[in-house]
This record gives sequence, C-alpha cells and structure tokens, in this order.
Amino acid sequence: MDQRTAGLNIAIFFCQQLDVNQDKNRRSLEKELGPRIRFFPLPCSGRIDPLHLLRALESGADMVYLIACPEGACRYREGNLRAKKRVRYAQQLIEEIGLEGVRIEMINRTAEMPDDIDAIARELLARDAKVSISPVRSNAILSFMQK
Amino acid sequence: MITAERKPMAEIKAMLAPYRKILVVGCGTCVAECASGGEKEVGLLASALRMDAQIEGRTIEVREMTIDRQCVYEFIDKLTGVADRYEVILSLGCGAGVQAVAEAFPKMLVIPALNTTFIGETKEPGLWVENCRACGDCKLGYFAAVCPVTRCAKGLYNGPCGGSKNGVCEVDPDTPCAWQLIVERLENTGRNDLLEAIYPPADWSRQQGKGPRKIAREDQRSES
Amino acid sequence: MKADSNLKKVLTQNVFAVTAECGPPKGADPGVIKKKGNLLKGYVDSVNVTDNQTGVVRLCSMAACAILRQEGLDPILQMVTRDRNRIALQSDVLGASSLGIRNILCLSGDHQSFGNQQQAKGVFDIDSIQLIQTVRRMRDSGQIIGGEALSDPPELFIGAVANPFADPFDYRVIRLGKKAAAGAEFIQTQCIYNVKRFKEWMKQVLDRGLDKKVYILGGVTPLKSARMAEYMSKQVAGMDVPGDVIDRLKGVDPKDQRREGIRIAVETIGALKEMEGVRGVHIMAIEWEDAVPQIVEEAGLYPRPRISEE
Repeated sequence: MDQRTAGLNIAIFFCQQLDVNQDKNRRSLEKELGPRIRFFPLPCSGRIDPLHLLRALESGADMVYLIACPEGACRYREGNLRAKKRVRYAQQLIEEIGLEGVRIEMINRTAEMPDDIDAIARELLARDAKVSISPVRSNAILSFMQK
Repeated sequence: MITAERKPMAEIKAMLAPYRKILVVGCGTCVAECASGGEKEVGLLASALRMDAQIEGRTIEVREMTIDRQCVYEFIDKLTGVADRYEVILSLGCGAGVQAVAEAFPKMLVIPALNTTFIGETKEPGLWVENCRACGDCKLGYFAAVCPVTRCAKGLYNGPCGGSKNGVCEVDPDTPCAWQLIVERLENTGRNDLLEAIYPPADWSRQQGKGPRKIAREDQRSES
Repeated sequence: MKADSNLKKVLTQNVFAVTAECGPPKGADPGVIKKKGNLLKGYVDSVNVTDNQTGVVRLCSMAACAILRQEGLDPILQMVTRDRNRIALQSDVLGASSLGIRNILCLSGDHQSFGNQQQAKGVFDIDSIQLIQTVRRMRDSGQIIGGEALSDPPELFIGAVANPFADPFDYRVIRLGKKAAAGAEFIQTQCIYNVKRFKEWMKQVLDRGLDKKVYILGGVTPLKSARMAEYMSKQVAGMDVPGDVIDRLKGVDPKDQRREGIRIAVETIGALKEMEGVRGVHIMAIEWEDAVPQIVEEAGLYPRPRISEE
C-alpha cells in the first residue's frame, strides 16, 4: 500500500537549493493534502537538528523525510554529510523509545528524481508504506500541526 | 569543562516510571558545551519522553527549563515556584548540578539524566577528551603541560611504560602516549633537565584524603 | 632463613646469571608451582614469579615464591603497582622478606583492561620507580614512605625492568638511568628478538655508564611457532619481532618450529654472552617452562655454579 493510501502524515524537510521555486511548487500538494503534509524548507540540509525531526514526529508525523543535495554537491560542502549523521542520531534516539528508526529517512536527490519539490513529494507518497500510523498519534489526541 | 553523556532511555524511563509530572532541567554551562545537557538536549529528551508516554498510552506532563548553571544557587533559584508543581526533577546537569538542585529543594525528588564523565576539553566539534583529574596538586609545570595522572592510562609519574609504541598507548591505539607527548614537549621547550627528574609518590590526600573536598575563601564569603 | 639472594651472589661473583620465569596457576594447587620449580631447579640461579601478569587473576606471587623457596629455589617476587596502594605494597615487602624471599622485581604492571577483570579499579598509587625507591629506602634506611622507622628492615635484592624496544627510543635509557638512581640493582629486559636494536640500546647504556650501576639481564622468550611470532609482533605493544625471525620460523615445518624457536633463543643468548655490559639472561618461556633446561644446556650455561653459603 502506498503512503497516501495508508493515510500517513508526512513531514518533509528539504534543502531549498534543490528547487528555487519551492515556495510556489509545493502549494498544490499542500492544498490537496491539508494538514497531512508539511514542508519545512531549510537553507541547507546541514541546518537540520535532531530536535526538528523529533518535534515533527511528536506533532503527529508518521514519516519524516529530509531531502538533501547529492553527496559531493552540497553548496556548503559538507552540510548534507553532517545532516546524515544527525539523522542517524535522531533515529537512534527514537529507537530507544520503541519507534522505528525508518520513520526518519534521509534522501539524497539523484539525477532520476524530478526537479521540483512537489513532484519529489508525490513520488515519496507513492512509495510503499514501510510503517503504519505512528503510535505517537494513534494513542493520543491528534494534534498534527494544530499550532 | 565537566563532560557528560545521556543515560540510556531505558534507565531514565525506569527511574521516572512512577511519576507523571516531570520538570526537565538543563544546564547552560559545561554540559551545554558538550551537547549533553543544554537547552537543545532538554528539548530532545522531553520530546522523547512525551512520545514514549503517548506510545504507551500514558499521560504525562513535561516542562522544559534550562538554567545558566545548576551548580550555583543564584541560578537554581529560578526553579523556585516552578519545581513544586512537579513530582520529580529530571536534571541534565552534571553530578554537581543534580546534587545542588536537590539540596535547594529538600522535598523534591531529583533524578540524573546524564552520566557525568570527566573534566576535559573540546578537542574539535563533537570530540571531548579528558585531561584533568582534579588531583589537587597540579604538576603540569614539570610535565610540559601534559598531565600524566590523567592522560597516561597508568598515571605514571616517571616516564612511559613498556607499552608506548609509535606515539600511542598500548591500552588504546586512539590515545596518544602521554609520556611521548611529555618527552617531546620538554625537549621542544628546552626543559631536558626535567627528563631525568625522579618524582616522589604523589600526595593523594589532596584528592581524597578526608572525603569530599571544599575550598573556603573568607574574602569571598558574605557576612550573613 | 637468613640466606642472601642467590642471584646477587652469582652476579657479584661475575658469573653470567640465568633466571627464568614461572607463571603461577589460575588455581590454588601448590603442586603446579612445585612442579615448575623442580623443572627449573639446578638450571637457573633464580626464578621470577609473575604478579597477576596481563591482569589475569592467578595464585599470588608471594605465596608461589614461598613455595619455591621451600623447594630450595631462589625466588624473585614480581610486584606490580596496579593492584595495591602504598600501604599494601610496603606491607607485602615486609611480608616477603619475613618469608625468606630475597629478590623483588618492581613493575607498574600490565593495564587491567587487558586481563579478565577489566572492570577493576587500577590502583597505581605509586609507579614502578617510586616502588624501587620505596623498597630501597625501607632496606637501606629502615624507613617507610613518610619517614617512619621500621623495627627490622627487609632484606631484598632490588630489580626493575627495561624495555629497549618501546618508544620514545632515546628516552628508554634515560628511564633506565632513573631506575638505577632510584635504587634498582638488577634489570631484566623485555624479550629480545631484534638483537641489532638491543645493541644500540646497550651502547647508550654503556655511554652513560649504567652497566656499572645495575646488572643487566637480557630477556629471552623462545617462540613456539611462526604464529606466536606474528602474534607477538602485531598484537603485543612494545614487542619487536623482526620479519626475518618470523620468516625463519615460517621456513620450517610446523612440527619443527618449536625446535627452531629454541635454536633462535640459544643464538640470542650466545649474542648476549658476548655483549659488553650484559651480565646474564632472563628466560621467559611462557607456559613452556620445560624448554628452559634445554635452552640453558645448549647455551653452554649448564651446570649452574654452586655458590657456597658464607
């Protein structure tokens, strides 16, 4: 079952360098899915902090993606390499409380992937769901992005 | 700085199990520098605890607070009026911080979230190394500013053991042999005379002679 | 029980000394010690008993030394500073002397992280040089650390170790000088396979006149196999096993490698006998004590002199 059909809430952190028109491009999907998808543009994936990833999960995301430039193609040289280590740190932390580490996933954009963030996100939604709805939100009042 | 590492979640969870109202308190000094007990780490731990409770269908109330220093009463006082609304304080301070907070709140339960590890330096981002044991009788002046008590695995005062090879310690190939460093630095600083000195047994009473140590300075104390 | 150290007598009479090592068992059976002692009896002047070597719990060195003494051998008590503070060390020094043990070898000891008690607290209250100094002061001035007087000083011939193969190389001889200045009388070295490097170190020793201050016994460990040689070369820090030694063993059929290992040991002893400043050999046949008589005989060091009691 794909992620959209599975009803997963998705949070997507991404490097703005990937798509200069991200602000415009992501609108249609945001409109279409409402609170079930949230985009968080970063000036560089290296700005990600494990706290962002945990807060997203805590707020009800079932899957949290970090989309970064290909390794070796970071504008700030090693931003995406650092991001990778922080993602691993956050994965280990959530595993300690019994959440699947795969709920946080880092993706380095490849040549085959589309250019705009909207299309990338649609591809992610069409992927097979690796996890079911997070016990964090299924066991609690759904508070996803109601801030 | 004093360095520390977070305890495993399982251990923290076990200690917190009976409680529902938790005040998570960070410290903005040493443990913030070593990324184990500052504001960010408080946020991470609090978030993990809340999610953990949700996963298990428990309701907990977690408040996050980070004070500048957990080992100084003036800063601990910021918790006054807040702490008593919680059942337990989960401290992300070092061992000194945990105890100072506990002393300030005699009726509060205070639990450590960290394992305090050593006095050290930030060698590079993400790497902290131990370089002082607070022995109370600093001899760095004779050892070219490299502490053999701390940085030699055997704490040898009089030269490297037979396990020093290619500049590294036999106990851990990632650790430089302290005596290799001392010898090099003594030579580089023109203190070859110290190479042959024999140091008598150390005075450990300065470290642990009569239990916990204290420093009392009359010029620093208030009248009241 | 007033007998002096046999090792000291041999060395002061200018005889090329032979000592060997005896590792106590991981158990309480005195028979093992007696058996090892009797294998060595008559072939060596004194027997070292290791002190929980590599941080592995074994029957204690002092008890094993006392047993060897009963068997008519001259034991050398190895004492490491890893496991005991100065109170225990000084107490044991007195105890050893009271049991008729007449030699002590002062070491810091292998780090506890190598042994079978890795969670142990390493004591290292004092280091090996401070222990040498302490024993010397107890013996010669009748004083313990801090200056308090002893009713009866211990009688001990004081030894230390040196590793010419560790780094920093040029500091090694300085450290030997410190041990001599602290009061060591004899020195047993790390096993020698790299004779060339040992000679370089001995030259530094002679240049500083240290051979006049301490008796130096060269360490020799027979290799059982090419595999053991490779292991020691790669895994044991401060051990220098040159490639040609490994190749020499590899060039021999595995079943003959022990024989070849003994040949190498005998040749090394031959070289040591010729070396100025070297006053004896210390054979450490690890869990292979029965190789010692053969090595001693083939090295032309048998029979051992019978030094009369004065």
